[in-house]
Order: sequence, then C-alpha cells, then structure tokens
Amino acid sequence: MLNKQLEMLVALQDLDIMIKDVEDVKQIGFEVAGKEKLDEARNELLGKLPKPLLFNYEKLKKRYKRAIVPVKDDVCLGCFMHVPTQLITRGRSDQSVINCEGCGRVLYWYE
Amino acid sequence: MQVVWRKNPKNSNEGIMMESKDLTQFFNENLFIPDLKAQSKEAVFDEFSSLFVENKVIRNKEIVLEMLTKRETLGSTGIGDEVAVPHGRTTAAIKMQIAFGRSDKGIEFNAIDKKPIKLFFVVIAPPHDENNRYLPVLGKLVEMLHENKNREKLKNVNTFEEFAEILDGES
Repeated sequence: MLNKQLEMLVALQDLDIMIKDVEDVKQIGFEVAGKEKLDEARNELLGKLPKPLLFNYEKLKKRYKRAIVPVKDDVCLGCFMHVPTQLITRGRSDQSVINCEGCGRVLYWYE
Repeated sequence: MQVVWRKNPKNSNEGIMMESKDLTQFFNENLFIPDLKAQSKEAVFDEFSSLFVENKVIRNKEIVLEMLTKRETLGSTGIGDEVAVPHGRTTAAIKMQIAFGRSDKGIEFNAIDKKPIKLFFVVIAPPHDENNRYLPVLGKLVEMLHENKNREKLKNVNTFEEFAEILDGES
C-alpha cells in the first residue's frame, strides 16, 4: 500500500495540474464551474501534509515545475540518474517518501 | 474534418493535426467494457480504476479514483447526448490511455443535459506527455462524439474490432 504522505503529495500534484488545465479543458467544451472547489480541496490537503514535506514540494515545484517524478527501469525520469539499489528497495516498498539523490525530486515508482 | 490544436495558443505555428483514426492508438482491447456492471457514478469510477490497475496502466487505484472524483467537482464530464468523458492527468499514469465502457441501461451522471450516460470514455494521461497530445486527443474525442452517427454506432458495438473500425472511420 502506498505511503500515505506520498499518496497525498501525488494527489496535490495532480490537483495542481488540474487547476492549471482548467481553461484549456473549458475551451474543449467541458462544463467548468467549480474551480473554487479544487482550491478548497488543495487547501484541505495542505493542512494534512507535514510542513517540511510541503515546503520541499513547493520548492521543487518552483524549480522544476514537477516536484514528483516517476522512476522507470531504476532511473529517475527527472534527471535521468540511476537510483541507488538501497533506495529502490525502499521506494518499491512504498514505506517512505524518497527524494532523488541527483535532483532532489520526490520519486514515484510505477511498478 | 481535421482539428488543429495549438500546443501553445501564443504561437500559432506550433500545431498538432489530428484525425479520429489517430485516437485508436490510445485504446486497447483490455480497456474495453461493452457491458459495465456499475450503476452509479462512484461505481463507474471504481470499475474503470480497477481496470486500469488490472492492466498495469497504473499501480495505485486510489490515486486515479481521487483524481477522477476531484475532476467531477469542477463540473460534470457528462457532455450530453448520453456520453461522458471523465479525464485527467495524473502522476500515477505512465502513458496516455483511454478506456471505453458502455451501459445499455444508462447511469445517472449529472450530465449537462441530465440524461443518463450510456457511453463512457475515461482518459488518463501522465502530467507531461512528450508529444503534448493530451488536450488535442481530448478535443478530438469530444468532437468525434458530438456526431450523432458515431454515438449511435458506438451504442451498438460488441467487440473491440467493431469499436476500432468506428474510430478508424471504416464502419
């Protein structure tokens, strides 16, 4: 089962993307009326996340746009550095939030 | 008819040409449900999220379930004429995929015309697609579904082959 803090961070990033996409989605023809509800959901999520994690997320977002990046074939798809074996084991087990040793982004394992 | 979606609205030289048949690559037989079991909006999201996990499109069902549910708070993705296109970009997706589901009975979805939904197209995509295709694909899909003849054909498909032929414009 996915670490709760990582799950919340991913939900936060997904929400940020959704908020950013609002105008484009409206252009396609979708009904878009509740942007403030997304902002509310975001604020609710912010209240649940530990401050250091949140601070780190915002810092990474400013620097790279995406704070959480996938790991594929044991490579961080943010900076393309190989993830050390001990981190792979911890990351795959979903027990904690792991940052890339190369770029600092939060890592998310697809498989 | 071709749709030109500008990657960057400020730069009209950057364009992506897209036709209905280009949509076929985002579907596959394993993500095709001709007879949805779900009978409510929540159950629809649950059924599709489970399908994505079973087919290894995503690893964590909860993340996609949360994303699809949150997206509905923005406004219903029921675009009318018995069609819904729930969609979103999520960190949990490795590539863009579209799942299709049909409910002959129709499911209440709070659609813009209040009609129950019979045709579902669930689009999930990673945050950044290398070719920036998410919005053009979504736009083309909606455009294709606005055509009455396409919707009527889709309501009668039983196999993925028949479905793909409709997308390819061969049926």
